[in-house]
Amino acid sequence: MMHTDKTPIIEMRSIVKEFPGVRALSDMTFDVYPGEVHCLVGENGAGKSTLMKILAGAYTPTSGSIVVDGKAHDALTPALSTELGIEIVYQENDLVPTMNAVENIFVGKEITKFGGFVAFKEMEKRVREVMERYRIHINPLQTIEHMSVADQQFVKILKALMNRSRVLIMDEPTSMFNVEDAGKVLDLVRHISSEGIAVIYISHFLKEVVQIADRITVIRDGAVIRTYDNSGRDVSIHDITQDMVGRPVDVFYQKERCEIGEVMFEVRDLQLTHNSPRINFSVRRGEILGLSGMVGSGRTEIVRAISGADPCHHMEVLVNGKKVTIRNPRDSIAAGIAHITEDRQRLGLNLGMSVLENTLLVSLQSKSTGSGVFYNLRAQVPGAEKIVQELRIKTPNLAQEVVYLSGGNQQKVVLGKWLHAQQSVYIFDEPTRGIDVNAKAEFYKQMTDLTKAGNCIIMISSDMPELISMSDRVLVIRDGAIRCELNGDEINEQTIIKEALGVD
Amino acid sequence: MNTKFKGILRDQRVLLALVIALLVIVVTIINPRFVRLNNIIAIFNQISVLGVLTMAMAMLLISGGIDLSIGSMMALCGIVVATVLMNGQSMLVALLAGFGTGLVCGAFNGIIIAKSKGMPLIISLGTSMIFNGISLLIAGGAFLQFQNKLDFLRTIRLFDVVPLMVLFMLAVCVIMYVVLNKTKFGRRIVAIGGNEKNAYLSGINVDLYKVITYAIAGVIVAGASLILGARLNSITATAGDGYETDALVAAVVGGVTFEGGRGTVSGAFLGCLLTGIISNAMDILGVHAYVKTVITGAIIVGAVVMSNMDKLRKKV
Repeated sequence: MMHTDKTPIIEMRSIVKEFPGVRALSDMTFDVYPGEVHCLVGENGAGKSTLMKILAGAYTPTSGSIVVDGKAHDALTPALSTELGIEIVYQENDLVPTMNAVENIFVGKEITKFGGFVAFKEMEKRVREVMERYRIHINPLQTIEHMSVADQQFVKILKALMNRSRVLIMDEPTSMFNVEDAGKVLDLVRHISSEGIAVIYISHFLKEVVQIADRITVIRDGAVIRTYDNSGRDVSIHDITQDMVGRPVDVFYQKERCEIGEVMFEVRDLQLTHNSPRINFSVRRGEILGLSGMVGSGRTEIVRAISGADPCHHMEVLVNGKKVTIRNPRDSIAAGIAHITEDRQRLGLNLGMSVLENTLLVSLQSKSTGSGVFYNLRAQVPGAEKIVQELRIKTPNLAQEVVYLSGGNQQKVVLGKWLHAQQSVYIFDEPTRGIDVNAKAEFYKQMTDLTKAGNCIIMISSDMPELISMSDRVLVIRDGAIRCELNGDEINEQTIIKEALGVD
Repeated sequence: MNTKFKGILRDQRVLLALVIALLVIVVTIINPRFVRLNNIIAIFNQISVLGVLTMAMAMLLISGGIDLSIGSMMALCGIVVATVLMNGQSMLVALLAGFGTGLVCGAFNGIIIAKSKGMPLIISLGTSMIFNGISLLIAGGAFLQFQNKLDFLRTIRLFDVVPLMVLFMLAVCVIMYVVLNKTKFGRRIVAIGGNEKNAYLSGINVDLYKVITYAIAGVIVAGASLILGARLNSITATAGDGYETDALVAAVVGGVTFEGGRGTVSGAFLGCLLTGIISNAMDILGVHAYVKTVITGAIIVGAVVMSNMDKLRKKV
């Protein structure tokens, strides 16, 4: 190991981070040495991004300390984090598309010459120096929007390196690359670490993790499960996946099984684009079908096509054996489909409107809210009140604007609007993300009740215990195609994670 | 201060009502003529055109849109009505032609905005020039006369006091209140303004509703053109210039937001009333016209800054 005689540049000691009702990190201890590549692996939602945000100074830990160069801090601020040389290359693209690489790299800290004019030549010179040092080959004068995704990624890394960074955190840097480009990124990471910079590398491509890491830390449910020494590049992928999934039994929810009937909903030959794989599946009455896969696998795109939210190349949908045409959400609602979307604030709710009106928003389109022009809100109160009571939505009254409700209660309002419209095929996309344990349990009960009442459910979930506990059957999606179908005892963490990651 | 009281103060309408009350008291102390019945009627006469236009603008803003062509659209409607009347046609034909013009212009805006997904602000600036150009083509630079045929709007008075055109404006306000609050259509366009994506995913035919909203605004604008005609008895292609910004300012001062989904009809009405009162008060106090313009601007900026006090505390 390179770091035996050195002290860690960053040491996170017993970090706990709590959000209202959720413990995102519990007693997280983690360190990284100069010149080391330390990989972090874990499922979606294991706590990787929370950890990263703490290092970026965006979150304040509930307890614990962060030791940088031997000096302990209770929390970092964004300014302090930059000053200490901590830089993050985020997954999302935060570059200005109309500017070139040099301008992007110096945004907000442009070098100026006499008279306050921007010194483009000087900036370009400095960028080229750093490019040479790390052997990065891009055209720094090309505008970002004309660059390949891979080159854009290099620009982001360059930008981080320009700030005399000592710790570089990379979040899924290769997730949208082909093998060749991914290889270039890995080479770059090696160069960076050989210059004495500490790299924290987050990825779910385990093969690449084993190729590049000096150490590998597996985290699960906000805690470190194990840290492997990978100086021989020989840690087994099998061992890592075991660590990612091995949960105690008590985190699983005991779902009441109910009778499963005839096929109620069927999708045939769904193709998102003309050259994407064909997707076929069906759901039976009383059944919960789980859709699993890593973020970006195509899960959300599939259900968005089914609910008419996005157009797709080709699709045949049958509800109760009858063919329906779905061109937009109106069609899917008319066919009895409910889509509880992933992002409740942006897509699922009208935050400035009352609980009452949000609950009525879908049924407002049907005749049930009274024919004619006028809309008698008061007449709808009993129906909405029943939903609020059934779902135990905590709100002072129906007139409360949903923006003031907690996340769990907001999510219940989203479900409430579909229950009020009395749909029969429910699509849940990450139904319990960011809501507390009690609200989760109530949500599960509602889902069970829905199936008992003869409806069917399609559920996307990254929450492994939730997926396994609730699903009668699971489809694993990878690269936009169904990789396998799991029934009964086959539904377990090992199988799901292996299929989702594509490792054997 | 208890929280409930603070909550009331945060309502823009209460703030506006207080400002209006304060203005009335101060001006009355200086010149008691201000609160005489005939002056109050004069104020309402003055804001009757703007009041109607403000309702159209408020509805569009609440639905997440905006229309900066309403000024030139109003002039075009007026010119069409005047031309029809000058050709010796009946009042009925003239009214149908005027409202038809508003409907077509509004729907034209709506269709382009809904289908192109372009910025309504810029698109309506462009269509504003189109409408203005058509007005010029019809009327040239000339003043077209209504031949006193619209005078009934001014001269017929309820109880010999309230002119028909003021009643018309108040009726538009009441109808707009009912439409936005009590009809399915109204709640749907509020939902679209608040969160268009959510509205679409909830099954609302967003494009269709946008077209209808702009078309209704066009019809309302045609109504405003009749009042303008009644007041001036003549019309030119530039008669509506500046009304779009006045209506926008009145609505925003009244608490209607640019972001959509928020705002009330009563607030927009109070915003319009405030601008009318300020203007009248300064006339009564003998403020020079140039000074008046400066003060009007300052009061509007002040009102909007005050209403943003809550937002100022939050940085991001």
